[in-house]
Amino acid sequence: MSSLGTFLILTAFVLASGAFAASIAGARRQRQPLIEGGTGLFHTVSALLLVASAVMVHAFVSGDYSIKYVQHLSNAEQPLFYKLASYWGGLDGSLMFWATLLGAFGSVAVYVNRERHRLLLPWVVATISVVQMFFLFLLVIHNNPFETFLMATPATGQGLNPLLQNFYMAIHPPLLYLGFVGMTIPFAFGIAALASGQLDDSWLRAVRTWTMMAWLFLTVGLSLGALWAYEELGWGGYWGWDPVENAGLLPWFTATAFLHSVMVQERRGMLKVWNVSLVIVTFFLTIFGTFLTRSGVVSSVHAFGEDPKLAWMFTAFMGLMLVVSFGLVIYRMPLLRARNELDSWASREAAFLANNWVLLFSAFFVLFATMFPTLSEALRGERLTVGPPFFNQWMTPIGFVLLFLTGVGPLLAWRRSSIANLRDQFLWPVLGGVAIGIGVAALGVPFWASGLCFALCAFVTVTIAQEFVRGARVRQKATGSDLFTSLVGLFARSRRRYGGYVIHVGIVLVFLGFAGNGFKTEEQARLKPGQQVAVPPYVVLFKTISVTDDGRKQMVTAHVEASRNGTPLGKMYPARWFFRGREDEPTTEIALRRSFADDLYVNLAGYELESQAAILQVTVNPLVNWIWFGVGVIIFGTGICLLPERTFAFATSRVPQGAVTTSLILLMLVSGGLARLHAQHVELPQTVTVVPRTPAEKNLQTELVCMCGTCGRKRIGECTCSVAAQMREEVARLVSEGKTQDQVMAHFVAKYGSQEVLSRPIDRGFNRLAWFLPYAVGVIGVVVIGGVAWRWSHRAPESLEAPAMPAAPTASAALETQLDDELRDLD
Amino acid sequence: MSTRAIRVLVSVVVIGGALTALLAMTLRGNAAYYKHVDEVMGNPAEWYGKPMKLHGFVADLQKRPDSLDYQFQVKQNEFAVRAVYTGVVPDTFKEGSEVVLTGRLSADGFHANEVMAKCPSKYDPDKTGR
Repeated sequence: MSSLGTFLILTAFVLASGAFAASIAGARRQRQPLIEGGTGLFHTVSALLLVASAVMVHAFVSGDYSIKYVQHLSNAEQPLFYKLASYWGGLDGSLMFWATLLGAFGSVAVYVNRERHRLLLPWVVATISVVQMFFLFLLVIHNNPFETFLMATPATGQGLNPLLQNFYMAIHPPLLYLGFVGMTIPFAFGIAALASGQLDDSWLRAVRTWTMMAWLFLTVGLSLGALWAYEELGWGGYWGWDPVENAGLLPWFTATAFLHSVMVQERRGMLKVWNVSLVIVTFFLTIFGTFLTRSGVVSSVHAFGEDPKLAWMFTAFMGLMLVVSFGLVIYRMPLLRARNELDSWASREAAFLANNWVLLFSAFFVLFATMFPTLSEALRGERLTVGPPFFNQWMTPIGFVLLFLTGVGPLLAWRRSSIANLRDQFLWPVLGGVAIGIGVAALGVPFWASGLCFALCAFVTVTIAQEFVRGARVRQKATGSDLFTSLVGLFARSRRRYGGYVIHVGIVLVFLGFAGNGFKTEEQARLKPGQQVAVPPYVVLFKTISVTDDGRKQMVTAHVEASRNGTPLGKMYPARWFFRGREDEPTTEIALRRSFADDLYVNLAGYELESQAAILQVTVNPLVNWIWFGVGVIIFGTGICLLPERTFAFATSRVPQGAVTTSLILLMLVSGGLARLHAQHVELPQTVTVVPRTPAEKNLQTELVCMCGTCGRKRIGECTCSVAAQMREEVARLVSEGKTQDQVMAHFVAKYGSQEVLSRPIDRGFNRLAWFLPYAVGVIGVVVIGGVAWRWSHRAPESLEAPAMPAAPTASAALETQLDDELRDLD
Repeated sequence: MSTRAIRVLVSVVVIGGALTALLAMTLRGNAAYYKHVDEVMGNPAEWYGKPMKLHGFVADLQKRPDSLDYQFQVKQNEFAVRAVYTGVVPDTFKEGSEVVLTGRLSADGFHANEVMAKCPSKYDPDKTGR
């Protein structure tokens, strides 16, 4: 099998070169057969890579340890899920995974645009093929994942690093890769536009959706990474400005900038050079991020090993890309002249421009600070380092400016805002911001750390609310329908704009979470049984420490009891797990109690078995859950933005079902995002379930959860740990004694002192809300999206025309025309 | 056109200059030297009080009972320095392990406020030295 894999990669490389050559030749000589041949080869490469991936997956699943890569990253005991995740768990496989994704993305993009952008396509194929060739070249020459042992084949594998055996970590890299790889598509279209000279806005329309999708993946990937760091690394935070994290953030900044500036080009014909450059820079940064994590240029907790040869190859490729891309930009400069000039600084395009500069500066700053140790060593021969405080010192004010611009942008009119207009627009948002600012200051919140952030959040929120209300009112007058229908109509009419506002709401929530970081409190203590540590408003009492083993790992678990303001919260079980064969790298299994106000985060940092003492690290993280919640809102908003193009096509062909499916997928995504709020650890089952003997027993096994504290409240019927086994036995015993289900459950509630042991509704304040929320959001989403879909399907022909103007001129006529104007243009 | 170009140029220079100056200023307070023990202990007095990350190997590790106070030597080649640290240490922090300490050097030793243990590369278990 391994030779098949190697052969596939080799063939793919050869065919990719063919696709490149044929496309270029076809485009330059206007020869359709050549172009079609090139495209065909391109699709073949994608297909070959998919097959190669299948071979790799097969090797992992079947445990083919003659392949070095498989031997390093997998072993027989590993659950299937992590065997699959091992595919991208190492250097070589991750590069191959990258190439496969690029092939799949590229093929879809080329196929979707085959009719609309005929002139661009051969260049798009050529550009993607070059990138593809680079990665395939690496695979062929340097990092063949199918490399086998020459001599003795080991009987078993080493297994995936236990730190990576976490649900989020298994899905975080692919999402991030999807974001990274997705950015290649806009780049390819940008280069195609430059090379072919088709520099009108059509290439922008082709890439808008792609960029947004890639941006979404990047956003979700980054937040999953943060969530992983928060839950798995045990240092109490979610973002440490580690070079690898920064590598993911860099293209995020420039892609965000692009998503904003693209509107200025569509609307006003400005910033053409800027947009092309942003696309190029974003692509460059994705490659640079890959380079950073794989070359050992910067040291990081989670970089792959050092590899100077790979570093050189990446550097050469990045240099080539930059020279060719910007060479093309300079060559096409005359065609990139702006149609308009900036009329006034009090205009929306100026706000977008400012937002772009700030985002670009953020990218520059993060890049600079990340590379600073390397730079200082190269320039001064002295390795200097900077830590997270330096990043925070800079990124906090930058973040505030960005947040402020988020609020300002929508308030300004295109071209020029009059004074009256400004006063009218800014009145309420500024009042809201100031009121909240004074309010939190009165509560004694430090102004600089968090107060300002709260005030800005309020400012932006009021802005967005005002936009929605005014827009809905205008529509209401124009169409004569009720307010709610008008609101839905707003989304239907201008999905990108109002979807964008929803994203901004998500951003505000995320910032709210960041602001909470300002009053994070932490305590480290070495406790003997019976001693306690206080981190207001919580007190954590250490009871005892236990050592258990489940065959795969040894688990050292601290038993603690937490209380908040004197109210007991029940038991928590922070632990350390020592996986077999990896005893020197234990994983930290933190215990977490989430709420919307704050998280109680307990980490067993160390222990002394001889004295029965535990070293506990207790952190109270205020507002942190709003970050994850905000990301959920961002996903939802992006979904609304993404809906149009597709639903639009569906709506014209009068098949509204498509919209419904899309909305369902979106809803699933959103509720998935919410589910993360109360997800803890996902351990894959090894199915050593004690088979229930009676229906009552079976039922009970799903009603009760494992109380070991480390396996994330799995139902005892599914959990593999010894605590669950004991609980199952106990259930069996009680049932055989003739107890009813309620009696057994009451028994367990009494035994564990709380309803914690029950798998379903734990009827307590926050928990009730946490359970209720996904459903509430789900229902609201169904109503909203269903309404939207209904409207589109019923009013499709009508909505293509401009909305009817109200008969009589009203006081807000100016606003209405402006609004309608914008709605039309942004659609 | 030319006045516009000048205006743009001036604003770029002013803003860029201001940011660069600010960057340089904040860097001074935040940057820490990254040094190996033998580089520092050749002439320790020169390094007193400077923020530093110190790279070396742990030796002679002692822990005061019933506390989180650690005392140890950080060694590299024939050079060594006495170091103290209070707090939680990583699992891989033990006799002979490779560590990076953040803190300051003074005449009575190195006061660390952060201990990082260099662990074998976390993602890539490949140590065959390909």
